[in-house]
Amino acid sequence: MSALFRCVDIGKQYGGLVALQGISLSLEVGRVHGLIGPNGAGKSTFIDVVSGRTPGTGHVYLDDRDITRVPLSERRRMGVSRSFQRTSIFPALTIREQLDIAAHGAGGGHTGELTDMLGLADVLDARAEEVSYGQQRLVDLALALVGNPRVLLLDEPAAGLSVAESQTLAAHLEEVAARWKVAVLLVEHDMDVVFRVCHVLTVLASGRWLVAGPPDEVRSDPAVIGAYFGSAA
Amino acid sequence: MLINALNGLVYGSLLFVLASGLVLIYGLRRVVNFSHGALYMLGAYAGYSVAVSFSFPLGVVAAGLALGAIGVLLDVVLFRQLSTRHPLVTVIATFGVLLVIEDLVRSVWGTQNYAIDPPALLSGVVEIGGAPFPVYRLFIVGASAAMAAALAAWLRYSRSGLFVRAASQDPSVAAMCGVRTALIGPMVVGLGAAFAGLSGILAAPFLSLNPAMGSEVLVLSFVVSVIGGLGSFSGAFISAMLLGQVQAFGTVHTPELASLLPFLLMSVVLIFRPQGIAGQKV
Amino acid sequence: MAMISTARPPVAGLSQRFSVLIVLVALAALLFGVERFGSRILVSLLAQAIIVSALAFGVGLLIRVSGLVSFGHAAPFGLGAYGTVYALSGAAPLPPEIGLPLVVMFVTLVFFLIGLVISRLEGVAFSMLTLALGQAAFVAATKFRSLTGGGDGVIIDMPRQLYGVHADVLQSPYGMFVVGVALLTLVYFALSIAECTQLGRLAVAIRENEERVRFLGYRTRVLKAGVFAVSASLAALGGVLFALYQGFVSPEILHWSFSGSALIMAILGGTSALWGPVAGAFAFFFLKDGLADVTTHWLAVLGITLILVTIAWPSGISGAVQFLLARVPALFAKGKGR
Repeated sequence: MSALFRCVDIGKQYGGLVALQGISLSLEVGRVHGLIGPNGAGKSTFIDVVSGRTPGTGHVYLDDRDITRVPLSERRRMGVSRSFQRTSIFPALTIREQLDIAAHGAGGGHTGELTDMLGLADVLDARAEEVSYGQQRLVDLALALVGNPRVLLLDEPAAGLSVAESQTLAAHLEEVAARWKVAVLLVEHDMDVVFRVCHVLTVLASGRWLVAGPPDEVRSDPAVIGAYFGSAA
Repeated sequence: MLINALNGLVYGSLLFVLASGLVLIYGLRRVVNFSHGALYMLGAYAGYSVAVSFSFPLGVVAAGLALGAIGVLLDVVLFRQLSTRHPLVTVIATFGVLLVIEDLVRSVWGTQNYAIDPPALLSGVVEIGGAPFPVYRLFIVGASAAMAAALAAWLRYSRSGLFVRAASQDPSVAAMCGVRTALIGPMVVGLGAAFAGLSGILAAPFLSLNPAMGSEVLVLSFVVSVIGGLGSFSGAFISAMLLGQVQAFGTVHTPELASLLPFLLMSVVLIFRPQGIAGQKV
Repeated sequence: MAMISTARPPVAGLSQRFSVLIVLVALAALLFGVERFGSRILVSLLAQAIIVSALAFGVGLLIRVSGLVSFGHAAPFGLGAYGTVYALSGAAPLPPEIGLPLVVMFVTLVFFLIGLVISRLEGVAFSMLTLALGQAAFVAATKFRSLTGGGDGVIIDMPRQLYGVHADVLQSPYGMFVVGVALLTLVYFALSIAECTQLGRLAVAIRENEERVRFLGYRTRVLKAGVFAVSASLAALGGVLFALYQGFVSPEILHWSFSGSALIMAILGGTSALWGPVAGAFAFFFLKDGLADVTTHWLAVLGITLILVTIAWPSGISGAVQFLLARVPALFAKGKGR
């Protein structure tokens, strides 16, 4: 399977501080690629750079086309979509209204199936500020999923969710990747979700690439364990 | 050429004193003081009256004290309430203050122009580069520099100055650390208003007094603050000096466009660097 | 940010259409009443107010939809006025009936282009830039005598009739009042409908979270410029009416103090309702006129009013009306002894 979405040598510097250096990874159709690492490893920064939210170094390829310089609004139409760690939705609009906006922006897409799957069908006419936090997280995700994106960049979608909600989310992600043939990058702290859903993992520590491979290998890798638990040496 | 540059320095100095007042008020209270030009004008007129009745030095003192008192009043009655509001709300409210002050000036002093001579000690000219240059203008530069230095020293080295800097950075944290923002507020706004008034009376012998002087200088003072960055003294200094030169050379070389130049400069800065020369990214 | 009130537009429905009818009937009654009972002074005041209310409407619309405050809307107003001078002059290639709408369209286009450049700014920076723009226009109008007659202004070459209406009617207070009310009512309905469309919701979305809208595939810069352009076109419409009514245009209308007054009107009227700024304009004119009769210090009283409104009742007249209207059902419910 050829890589749909390739990130090559991604870097980010804030003045003298190197937040990311030389990170490369690829996303394949239908597979969930997890990006994990201890706090401050630079995972969210990575998504911000490759999604175009913040400038950085390196290149991003979609279908072998360099889209590094492509403006944000065009990327969506090309099928690259993302969600946000800090819920980024529209409080005063109803859920139906915001999904319609998302559908139109993505160039089409039926929201019905999506809202059914995510369990938002009952609250479609409520304003986003009126629903629960968990539902708002799902709206954030839904906005990214509308219009059948080809690439999905998810920044801690389970943040703030209960155990039950996280498990439901994990099930949704499995379905999205497999059935909708989406290439998914999942930045996540919740290890239950990560190990359930991801086909391959990349581990970052202090802005640098540490290790990559299938989840079982990675979880028993001493370097990874050291990064999470033992760096206080 | 040298004379132009010196004139530019004079304009720049006046602008800097004025803009410092704006920066002080914005820095602490986050109020964009749209009445700042009116305060300048009030200082000029009030100082004028005292100077004409008594003496120029007394006029300067009067302007500073009167405007300082007004500043304290403004802070206690209004700015304190405004400090948590959206900056554009503060613009509207201070616009109201502007209307009140303009009415006051018009009622007391009428709509005619006034002129005032510099005090005998400071009148006359010196030879600079073979050309005559009024002594009073040099005094303006000197006085402004002294005020700026005193302000900088106070902020840098005194305890209350430290409190002001802390509260300007982060009012709630400063309050938690025991800084009495309730006392600092009136002091800083009073000082800011006093600076505006002093700038006015100092400018009076140089630029004369007219009812439109407030709004003319208001726009300029904003241009200076915005170019420099809305909370920065060093930014205000650089941009005031820059604008002073632009003004001086502009009136000589491109009189048609001279009044547009500051706006052009501000537009360019805002488009490429919205936070100004030394401002923080908003 | 209660000052910058931007309530959700309501969903169009049967009650909407009913209230449209009520509004039209009320307006007709108003026009009739003014004609029969209005004194000359009153009508003259109304005519001036309706013209300036177009400008206030534009300023208020920008606040309401984008949350941006412009200090330079006198620029499109003035451009509309000077454009009218040109469109009515012998030098214009097209008849005035075509020229006038073109003037408004031209101003809209110019400000769309300007909007593309300045929409990257927000808050105070945006406002300062609009101030600069307005002043630049003022200075340009004062200096370029050959184009604008400079500080002396320029007289309009008024044709005998326009759109079948005699020039005397257009330049009479009542005539201009009727024309102004008719045009603004049309604009109001058009904008209310627009607010209920996808575009209107998109504008709300941009105001709430522009970044996400961009990530959803929209070129928000273009959309924001569009809103800016529409608000400028309202100001331009006011400028055209001003020129036709006065028969004379001079640079004062480009001064930032005029933009400032329009802003005051918009704030006084409140932006939580679309019609707020128009109400604010009328309130401003009547307040100013009433105060001027009572005291020479009307300027100070106006200033104090402004301060009080911003501190005590930031949502303005329209906010107060909406507040009261929302209480009405409760009053009836109480009356029924619930």
